[in-house]
Amino acid sequence: LGTSIIALTFDGGVILGADSRTSTGNYIANRASDKITPLCDNVYTLRSGSASDTQAIAGYVQHFIAQHQAEEGDQVTVKTVANLVKMMAYNNKDFMQAGLIVAGFDKHGGGQVYSISLGGTVTATPFAMSGSGSTYINGFCDKYWRENMSEQDAMEFITRALRYAMTWDASSGGCIRTVTITAAGVKRQFIQGSQIPPTYGELPRQQVVA
Amino acid sequence: MSIFSYNGAAVVAMAGKECVAIGSDLRFGVQTQTITCDTPKVFRIHDKLYLGLSGLLTDAQTLHEKLMFRHNLYKLREERDMKPSTFGHMLSNALYERRFGPYFAAPVVAGLEPDGTPFLCGMDTIGAMEKAKDFMITGTSPESLYGMCESMWRPDMEPDELFETVAQCLMSGFDRDALAGWGAVIHVITKDKVISRTLKTRMD
Repeated sequence: LGTSIIALTFDGGVILGADSRTSTGNYIANRASDKITPLCDNVYTLRSGSASDTQAIAGYVQHFIAQHQAEEGDQVTVKTVANLVKMMAYNNKDFMQAGLIVAGFDKHGGGQVYSISLGGTVTATPFAMSGSGSTYINGFCDKYWRENMSEQDAMEFITRALRYAMTWDASSGGCIRTVTITAAGVKRQFIQGSQIPPTYGELPRQQVVA
Repeated sequence: MSIFSYNGAAVVAMAGKECVAIGSDLRFGVQTQTITCDTPKVFRIHDKLYLGLSGLLTDAQTLHEKLMFRHNLYKLREERDMKPSTFGHMLSNALYERRFGPYFAAPVVAGLEPDGTPFLCGMDTIGAMEKAKDFMITGTSPESLYGMCESMWRPDMEPDELFETVAQCLMSGFDRDALAGWGAVIHVITKDKVISRTLKTRMD
């Protein structure tokens, strides 16, 4: 999964954003794939790395969390879900190539983002990004990210960052999908490729000569 | 990773009614990193002869320079431009000279013969030439490009229609290719002029 995925906390919840390209070699197998997968009602995950490995992990975690939820009788905390994903990645580290970002909202800790990298390290941060496209926007995100943005600012930040990642990384592209999780619930949004302003579209072009 | 998909390219050439059109994408990248969006893969040899080269970009550039050198010498000796068919055979020979250490480039030659008939030919990396009456393509996603061209090509298209067809085939073809795209340039060659147009496309 060449990918660009970002998650960040804002004042009131979290927003998760991803591109929609799945490529096998240089053929784009799916140009509208959904890399944002629900693990339970209030926690979603962003998947990068091997598509099959991340789908398998998500499947197992959905199953175990559903059982845990039934026993708890209450909303599951984001930390628990992140821990379970970590256990899957860590205990099978020799066989897997999966980088996931787990993000959600619970009433104890508010919006939280946990990044789980290849070997199974869990890092809790207010903002995380991963995937091959994330390397191109490190500088951009360092400069423009602020703590406790409003929902609208956070959405603008994510779409702008993903737009640049999709331009420079060949294995990211298509459209931008976002999921916003707050106390009120979950909201999915979809920005078509044609609605994303093209990078360098605003600059006048010199005539290309043969 | 294959040497032919290190940089990435998409080139389409089509023949119409006393005109030819040739176009390419504009991406220059190194594996998955895109570096610029203003690098055409189509080069002008003379007003009625254009050459498209896909594959490793350094070999495409070097091959173009060597061929320009040979064509310039030809012009000095013969006092005229080279016919496209002659150029095609010369290119095929130049590639086969390097049979056991080839240039990693696959060319497409598009031009108008002196009597006005369109000329199209394509070659593999060691110079096996095939002429065509309809279209010729090369690049990192040949299946997508062939599919589009087979469906959309019709005989005897006028220059404007030919431009539209090449544009649609090229764009839809490279939209499914992770290594080609980021803009396109298309040259339509008729007996009195060449019209070059740059297209704004998806930049992902």
